[in-house]
Amino acid sequence: MIEKQTMERIINKALDSAADFAEVFVEKTFQSVIALQSSKVENAVNQEKVGIGIRVAKGHQSVYGYTNKTDETTLIELAENLSKSFVGTRVKDMITLPEVTNGKNHTIKKMPDAVDIKEKVSLVKTADQAARDYSDEIKQVNVSYMDNVQNVWIASSENIHVHDQRVRTRLGVHSVAKNETDMQSGFNGPGAHQGFEFYDTIDVKEEAAEASRIAVTMLHADECPSETMPVVIDNGFGGVIFHEACGHSLEATSVAKNASVFSGKKGEKIGSELVSAIDDGTIENAWGSQNFDDEGRPQQRRQLIKDGVLTSYMIDHLNGLRMNEASTGSGRRESYRFAPTSRMSNTYIENGKSTFDDIIKNTKYGLYAKKMGGGSVQPSTGDFNFAVMEGYMIRDGKIAEPVKGATLVGTGKDALKKIDMVGNNLKRAQGMCGSLSGSIPTDVGQPTIRISGITVGGRKGNA
Amino acid sequence: MNFELLFKRAKDKGLEDIQVHIEKTQDVNLHVFNGELDKHQIADTQRLNLKAIYRGKMGKMTTEAIDDANIDTWLDRLIDSAKVIESDDEVFIYEGDASYKDIPELSDSKLDDLSHEEKQALTFELERKVKALDDRVKISQAFYGEATKHVIIKNSKGLDLSKDVTSAVLGADCVVRSEDDSRSSFDFVQTNDPRDFDLDDIAKNVVERGVSLLGAKSLKSGKYNILLENRASATLLQGFLGMFNAESVQKGMSKLQGKIQEKIASNNITLIDDPFMLKSTKSGSFDDEGVATSYKKIIDQGTLTTYLYDMKTAKKDGVKSTGNAFSGAISPTNIYFEAGQSTFDDMVKTLENGLIITSVQGVHSGTNPISGDFSLQATGYKIKDGDIERPIALFTIAGNYLEWLNNVVDLGNDIKFTFSYFGSPTLRINDVAVSGE
Repeated sequence: MIEKQTMERIINKALDSAADFAEVFVEKTFQSVIALQSSKVENAVNQEKVGIGIRVAKGHQSVYGYTNKTDETTLIELAENLSKSFVGTRVKDMITLPEVTNGKNHTIKKMPDAVDIKEKVSLVKTADQAARDYSDEIKQVNVSYMDNVQNVWIASSENIHVHDQRVRTRLGVHSVAKNETDMQSGFNGPGAHQGFEFYDTIDVKEEAAEASRIAVTMLHADECPSETMPVVIDNGFGGVIFHEACGHSLEATSVAKNASVFSGKKGEKIGSELVSAIDDGTIENAWGSQNFDDEGRPQQRRQLIKDGVLTSYMIDHLNGLRMNEASTGSGRRESYRFAPTSRMSNTYIENGKSTFDDIIKNTKYGLYAKKMGGGSVQPSTGDFNFAVMEGYMIRDGKIAEPVKGATLVGTGKDALKKIDMVGNNLKRAQGMCGSLSGSIPTDVGQPTIRISGITVGGRKGNA
Repeated sequence: MNFELLFKRAKDKGLEDIQVHIEKTQDVNLHVFNGELDKHQIADTQRLNLKAIYRGKMGKMTTEAIDDANIDTWLDRLIDSAKVIESDDEVFIYEGDASYKDIPELSDSKLDDLSHEEKQALTFELERKVKALDDRVKISQAFYGEATKHVIIKNSKGLDLSKDVTSAVLGADCVVRSEDDSRSSFDFVQTNDPRDFDLDDIAKNVVERGVSLLGAKSLKSGKYNILLENRASATLLQGFLGMFNAESVQKGMSKLQGKIQEKIASNNITLIDDPFMLKSTKSGSFDDEGVATSYKKIIDQGTLTTYLYDMKTAKKDGVKSTGNAFSGAISPTNIYFEAGQSTFDDMVKTLENGLIITSVQGVHSGTNPISGDFSLQATGYKIKDGDIERPIALFTIAGNYLEWLNNVVDLGNDIKFTFSYFGSPTLRINDVAVSGE
């Protein structure tokens, strides 16, 4: 979108002071969203984002500016303005950029803009019908469809000049079950770094019915008791607990500032030896994948934890300088409106040896968290909290009655050590992760795991 | 932008009416971390939102590439969008109200009295003050953010509105550590008048909050009487806002359906939505549909008097829009519980034995806005004989929001607003289910 020579002129202008790093991030994104309510298309909105972010740094200190204006005069002026923050004579030679490298690891077969909007509407209606057909108790279904094509061009004084096209799509089904006394909801939202062909790879009706199944199950659930007990967290979205409680604390954003419980712990045992964990931004067509991170470096597969030992952090360029470590290609951002920082991609706990049945059979009493809701964490303390969307009591090694309203509370550091069984049924699920550099798509994942003891908060009071 | 051309081309293409909403924003953000300027961000952006009626349906689109050369492309997108809409809801492009309140104070910012260098110096000084207050402050950060927003609404029915709002935030956060514990805390002031920036006060609040929580441990599960501190209460309100949203109500997603003019809370509860509050970026005399905003009591002494409406939902209920259409949804402006009489210290004394809840976490996931049920992680202090006994953490408080609103025994005189302008005084609530050890 912006000529190589223009990029060079902007970067060179930005380096016309004591600055030693300059980067241009150009973005053009087109997103279309369809929302179905009460079985009728309520909204069809398309959104176009066009903007440029310029980052200038000296050491790990940086300034960032962004604008929608794409003319060279404005951009040169912005670069000059930012550069002035670093008073001094020029330290960098004039930069020449390499030719642009295009990312090409994720094949897209049906570009969203080549698909007739009627086909998208028909997909949304299929999902709506399947969610409603699940049970008479389903009284309300909202379905949303989203596709997003983000084109980015990134050039920096680190000899980087790349173009990446990220094509993503996601279907969201939100079902509400209702009877005279209660109302409960369920959600399911499969997505991928893929075109419209994604919907040929999943069973749309089954995915939609899943949201209704959760809502109906919870409608007939009792309140969860409050106490500390063993908790079995199922595969797939259950990985959100690792994402929130450990993943964020392994990002250089907090590690570099010594604000993480895991700062300075590389090489040390931080969890049960049953735990090995990966953050892999290269998985083909996965929701959280990219060819290049948002600083223009190739995405990587990072072994975060191996047999309980911390082996790698997730590091962006500037925090890397602070930590004296190389970037792991983890610099990500929502859009040109954010300076990048270290973020997760597709993060998961690796398979262990236990089967799902073994784990349940070996648990005399506890909570089975089949579907997790969202949660949050304080990186400095690792304190976390998660809502359980679908839960059951485990009694005498068997899954017993469903329970609602449960929250899991603990610290990541503790929970990691208390993982005492790891299943062999790894699965990933899609989510949106919010942090300093905005809201970005990430996969969470894990096999079924058991935590030997964790505080469960419910409304039933003590059991 | 050439509005006349846009309106004319829209007519040519068969669009019945069209409305333009433009938001131009200029931002400055500074972060000082451990004595260094860690982040300095400047931004100049604009966004165009178009909506237009085509064969009785509303098409919508948004773009940041604002260029008259794209007018025909935009109009085609609007038509494509309208064509797939099936909803039978009546749609509106508004001709406007007879009058709009004049609020000159909103744009009359005193922030320009300070130079950029002075703002930067303030941020540095705040960070130094935080660090200097206590040895246990291991990480400290101060931030300053300023946004100037210019909003224009014009439509083919002749509506022509604009507003300017400027506001800034100055705040700090820190991590404090003892031998075996670590806590983080933050505080901030949001205003358009730099005289409101009291650095010593912010620094003291941040550090005291963090240090006093060091060594916090869980507590025995059970029922406790609690003081839900002002900002914890404001955070919780944020999680249940959907209950008051006419759209949720009409879709059967709110327990407040059919409850207008009924008592839904104790007599001491009055919930206000005030679009004219000074020094707030959420304030203004019109909403995104061009409807005049109004000051209203959503709950008046315990009685539900209105939901929050946009034009579409108002039409369905046969009422006037409350002027709460913002960013394509229904949302409040500055929403808060009216303050009571008691001072915080008196409330602690009267509580005698119980808990102070200073913060709740996970409001986006631990609350069910439909049923009102919630179960949230909390931190705070245990109170014994009217004094703080010890800090507490890693426990949950659970309940039902509507039941709580019926159970507010006392309100403080200490209103505090969150970043997103949700406000509350401290609330005293009895017999709260707490789950800890």
